[in-house]
Amino acid sequence: MIGADLSILIPEIVLAVFAMAAMLAAVYTSKDAVAPALTWGTALIFVVMAFYIAVTGEGVRVGFNGGFVDDGFARFAKITILLSAAAILIVGIEFMQKSDLLRFEYPILVTLSVIGMMVMVSSGDLIVLYVGLELQSLALYVIASLRRDSVRSTEAGLKYFILGALSSGLLLYGASLVYGFAGTTQFAGIIETATAGEMPVGLLIGLVFLISGLAFKVSAAPFHMWTPDVYEGAPTPVTALLATAPKVAAVALFARVVHDAFGGAVGEWQQVVALLAVLSMFLGSIAAIGQTDIKRLMAYSSIGHMGFALMGLAAGTEQGVEAMLIYIAIYVTMNIGTFSFILSMEKDGRHVTDISALSSFASREGGKALALLVLMFSLAGVPPLVGFFGKYAVLFAAVEAGMAWLAIAGVIASVIGAYYYLRIVYLMYFGEDREGLDGRMGLVTYAGLMAMAALIALAWLPGLNLLGLEGMAAAAAQTLVR
Amino acid sequence: MTIADFTFYLFAAVMVIAGLLTVTARNPVHSVLWLILAFLSGAGLFVLVGAEFVAMLLIIVYVGAVAVLFLFVVMMLDIDFAELKAEMAKYMPLAGLIGVVLLMQLALAFGPWTFADGIEGRLANPTPALDQAHNTQALGLILYDRYFLAFQVSGLILLVAMIGAIVLTLRHRADVKRQDIVAQMMRDPKKALELKDVKPGQGL
Amino acid sequence: MTIGLEHYLTVAAALFVIGIFGIFLNRKNVIVILMSIELMLLAVNINLVAFSAFLGDLTGQVFTLFVLTVAAAEAAIGLAILVCFFRNRGTIAVEDVSNMKG
Repeated sequence: MIGADLSILIPEIVLAVFAMAAMLAAVYTSKDAVAPALTWGTALIFVVMAFYIAVTGEGVRVGFNGGFVDDGFARFAKITILLSAAAILIVGIEFMQKSDLLRFEYPILVTLSVIGMMVMVSSGDLIVLYVGLELQSLALYVIASLRRDSVRSTEAGLKYFILGALSSGLLLYGASLVYGFAGTTQFAGIIETATAGEMPVGLLIGLVFLISGLAFKVSAAPFHMWTPDVYEGAPTPVTALLATAPKVAAVALFARVVHDAFGGAVGEWQQVVALLAVLSMFLGSIAAIGQTDIKRLMAYSSIGHMGFALMGLAAGTEQGVEAMLIYIAIYVTMNIGTFSFILSMEKDGRHVTDISALSSFASREGGKALALLVLMFSLAGVPPLVGFFGKYAVLFAAVEAGMAWLAIAGVIASVIGAYYYLRIVYLMYFGEDREGLDGRMGLVTYAGLMAMAALIALAWLPGLNLLGLEGMAAAAAQTLVR
Repeated sequence: MTIADFTFYLFAAVMVIAGLLTVTARNPVHSVLWLILAFLSGAGLFVLVGAEFVAMLLIIVYVGAVAVLFLFVVMMLDIDFAELKAEMAKYMPLAGLIGVVLLMQLALAFGPWTFADGIEGRLANPTPALDQAHNTQALGLILYDRYFLAFQVSGLILLVAMIGAIVLTLRHRADVKRQDIVAQMMRDPKKALELKDVKPGQGL
Repeated sequence: MTIGLEHYLTVAAALFVIGIFGIFLNRKNVIVILMSIELMLLAVNINLVAFSAFLGDLTGQVFTLFVLTVAAAEAAIGLAILVCFFRNRGTIAVEDVSNMKG
């Protein structure tokens, strides 16, 4: 019996064995000298596992007494997580080497964190959910404070840790109340008891605590406080990682909990999620306007984008989940491209993150400026770039679910938010001419930036149809919402 | 009031007071000691409801390891706590208000706790009768079997904790003399000592 | 009046609120914040064990075992980051967490 269960878990097992073997190998050989090769190897194995999951996965398989669910939704999330983590690892190598940060523990910790994310999105039980969540969080706390001789990096790690631990506490308190009401920790059992309309107050409080804990993890307003400081303080490749793979995992986990465990009580959580979405969208748009640091700006941008993703979830329908998945996959693609660019921002041999350094950048580096322009327009949601299709999908889902007010709020927020993306473009093309960035971009980072920009600029063309993303997301959403 | 009731009120009161003193004590060393008292009372409550294995684990893991770890860090870092505490008075009213409101809400909510209908059928691991398996044995029977996945993942969590602590705090210092055991064992007395025949009045 | 489930839940709720209260109260003293988080987890454990006992179901106690394990790992990592921060900064006062720059 255990054999059948373990076969569901093959990708996670392979990654865990790889992490442990890599650690032993690195410790007993040349330690940090193998780090670049190890990072490439880790990225490679992520990609291989993503293909493995895509090729072999079919149907719904449940293992470990309902604790682990391998369905279309989990596979979609896992593939996105693996590919984005691999991309971030690769584009970050050069930066890490230059700033003497590339230690062999980095790819190993990323691997362990990714295992945690994969367990999270597949969890079918509150206990498995909790251990998976903690595995990814604990590894990320360490990675955020990786530059241990810098005040800002360790302070970022400390803030991330405190608020992360607080959110885990809230989540657990909610989980304990849910267990007490339903008598089981399995989602399959909880969904039988949690029906709309007649929820007792104890369970309702449990649900609210559970949602608050999850909202912390996706950094939705009003639980976003940690995001700007952590994004600014952490080393840039780590910021890039925090903005991509963990976000996918957290949003997917959110969707799994509310649909798999509370699918019968959509009305009870719908309003809470809608409120989180509205607050995040507006906070992300308005607070970003005054920012001068591009990493802080990306932090507010990610809060705003999480608001849009939650809008899809708030619709509470299969179409909403599909829109959410499309949105999050597109968001990750745009972020990989943008962070590839931020990683290469350099002046007199030092990494700068000040937005004013971009002034008149286009007159010197036309190609890169054009790529950034595409990414910024797409983040703002300007048609016909791919970012627009993500926004359109969630807005459409909200309207279909009878939440037109939410969609209108989304449109207003995205118009406000467009201002600061366009400001960057304006600075690059029409800013006053002065000494700006002079760093040279490494080949890998350049390839990352250009590939993502090309994807964003061209994937909407009729023949490409978003590379089949819609079909995959629809199939994934179908297995979650029943 | 029976003995069991009295014990409950005793442990509960001690735990809540110790918890309050943990967060308000002026000296962090005192905070750690109050924390230990809170954990011990918590363990007492666990024994009262018949969860003796978890109670013992709470004492061994928390009091034995975590609290001592806290104590180590408090002692190791030379921190000016007076400065940190000066801020506290400022937040006291606000924090107090938030606390009272939250507590009232939670108390209102709980009233009599209602279970879901048909909860007996949903219990995954009903507690076996005491003559079949005692608490520790019953937990052992399910922990490694039903919760295999969570058990393995928590192993990985401990691995992360180990790697993390080493990555963050281990420093290789070049100026420290270390013991090289192999060199010690391979030492040859014949090479370590050389006898020179010093002629009088000449020196070496 | 015999001791029922509600008594345990009330005690746990009180302890949980004290934990949250402690985080707000000691915004600059990170060590006490970490202790407050441990108090919150203790409250969760009391909830789980009480439910487990009154339901006659062992799942809650198993959950508690995992919470204890993770909390120990969490404390180790938290204190390691704290030590690192102290070495750089010379103090453990973190800038106000909700401090919004710009």
